[in-house]
Amino acid sequence: MAAPVSTVGKPSTERSPFNTTSFQKKTRTKLISIPGTRPSVQNGQLLVSTGVTSLDYLLGGGLAVGTVLLIEEDRYDSYSRMILKYFLAEGVVCRHELFVAAAQDNPDDILQELPAPILDDVAIHKPVEQPRLSCEPQDSLDAMKIAWRYQNLPKSALASSSRFGHYYDVSKTMEPEIRQAAKCHCFYLPEHPTHTMLESYSALLKSLQEVINREGFDVAAPMTKSRNILRIGLHSLGSALWGDDLSCHDNPRNGHALTTFLYGLRALLRSSLSVAVVTVPSHLIQDRALMGSITRLCDNAIALESFKGSERETNPLYKDYHGLLHVRQVPHLNCLASKLPDHKDLAFKLKRKQFTIEVNFFSNVF
Amino acid sequence: MLTELLQGTDAGGFLIIQDSASYSGRHLLKSFINAALNREEAVHVLGFEVSEEELKDGLKGSPVQRLHFHNAYTDPLGWTDQPSFTVHQFCLEELTRLVKQTSHPKPATLVIDSLSWILRHVSAPAVCKTLQQLRKGGAVRAIMGLLHVDMHQRGTVGSLCHLATSVITVAPGMKGDEAVAKITKRSKSGKVVQDEEIFSIKTDLTVVVQSKPSQLGHKQADPEEQETDPTANLTFNLRLSNTEREAKEKLALPFVFSKEKKTALLHSSPGSGRILYEPDANDDYDQEDPDDDLDV
Repeated sequence: MAAPVSTVGKPSTERSPFNTTSFQKKTRTKLISIPGTRPSVQNGQLLVSTGVTSLDYLLGGGLAVGTVLLIEEDRYDSYSRMILKYFLAEGVVCRHELFVAAAQDNPDDILQELPAPILDDVAIHKPVEQPRLSCEPQDSLDAMKIAWRYQNLPKSALASSSRFGHYYDVSKTMEPEIRQAAKCHCFYLPEHPTHTMLESYSALLKSLQEVINREGFDVAAPMTKSRNILRIGLHSLGSALWGDDLSCHDNPRNGHALTTFLYGLRALLRSSLSVAVVTVPSHLIQDRALMGSITRLCDNAIALESFKGSERETNPLYKDYHGLLHVRQVPHLNCLASKLPDHKDLAFKLKRKQFTIEVNFFSNVF
Repeated sequence: MLTELLQGTDAGGFLIIQDSASYSGRHLLKSFINAALNREEAVHVLGFEVSEEELKDGLKGSPVQRLHFHNAYTDPLGWTDQPSFTVHQFCLEELTRLVKQTSHPKPATLVIDSLSWILRHVSAPAVCKTLQQLRKGGAVRAIMGLLHVDMHQRGTVGSLCHLATSVITVAPGMKGDEAVAKITKRSKSGKVVQDEEIFSIKTDLTVVVQSKPSQLGHKQADPEEQETDPTANLTFNLRLSNTEREAKEKLALPFVFSKEKKTALLHSSPGSGRILYEPDANDDYDQEDPDDDLDV
């Protein structure tokens, strides 16, 4: 007797209610399980995704919680802003909390521009529709010549509920419903007037500390509710609008303001469940020693160099790419040495659905 | 692109004209003022470097009444008892008050001649902050400034141009009255457009854009290298003629059913077997890949 049709489609993953043995595996849950994070295979650190899967790969699997990623901006701040938006969008999709600070544009405007995530659809069994009989399968582009038996099946990808990295469609902005589901804290510098211009960084640090303590991101806080990660995005620190003259003068007098801020930021992050991405317009900072100390104060550091406007734009070697990416620093967290990336010549390209970073093989020719 | 910029900047636009000792950008600035006046906008000029007569020279007609010149030329540092406009008044409150004094239905355009003068007496971060506040506030519709690049450090010029939506760098051209303008324009969506044009300014302050410079150097007539066709010089023929291609496509492959049989099998009658596939993580197991079970 054939099985009834109703049970054919049902997934048969129900186990028997009785365990066959009384043996239970002893699991030591050392790692807190928070959605959107996973432990690193190299050193067990808790990692979050930056939103760009190729960048995750470069950084050794992802950004470790409690570290700072420094992005040196490209000349017109287009790609560094894009990476910041990817980082924040990933936070929205993973349901982390966000903290955005900016001096030039209102953080709400940055949040409005987040790219839309490409969410996989769970495979749904669509009944074979009658109108398909009339349309010629060979005329459509999807007509398969060899695997034609699978032609009418719905196109489905593997759906996993908690994926580590997501893909985003740059041409669309995130739907307001998805964005409003995430909690965002904004710090817009003109709304925090300070007596002297140099106090803007300390105001930012105080605001961050207050948010971390209030919302319970401190590691030392009692674990009453489920833990979450705070994603901090700081746009264009070191530019003239934050009040210091790092980017204006060759020998800045206020170099200490940003460096003390970064030192305090890293101390704050190490004792909390948060991760920060900071963009700095390094092409304006002429003092190389200061730029070096800023790089040392952050854990990860990458620099973007866009081809727009430079003579490399017409170079045929670079016609597939939008710019070069330099890895300035990799972190060594709780260890003496760190894994350096294999290739130093990396180039990036911003496509509609992906920000790819590839090894620039042809640079060795010259 | 120069003509587009002359026709009007968007609200909140900030235009910087960069010049140097070899070619003065003031003529181009006057053309922009002229174009704004002809569009029936009110223009407020902060004149630090040249006197009112010299600036208004060449601007004719009734639109000149809409030009409000704030004299910062005679006494910019406030040494006399009654200065008319000093450099220390370059802050948001004073400028907003100044612009609002002259009542006009449309928000005004602010022209600063020149930013370099202000930067010598006010710190660069303060200037940047004031300009950003002016742009975001509603008192002024657009700001145009003249900047002498050879007077400042690269970082200062860079910081100011970072705030600007359009930057025009002028340099002397080949012939006498021609000049080369390199234009960079940033749109609100973040797109950056660059252009280079040769222009000249006539006596009535209209700008005539000539053709783009011939660009001696890297771009000039780089002959497109003929891509070597790898199928060209072979002893056997790798190409298909049209008839051959048609014959290839008509060829019935083995194990390929005819169209009728395919559709019959696709739309199966009820009762026969159906293919039901739920994507499963275990199906991706590749026996040849030793690292398949790593979660990296």
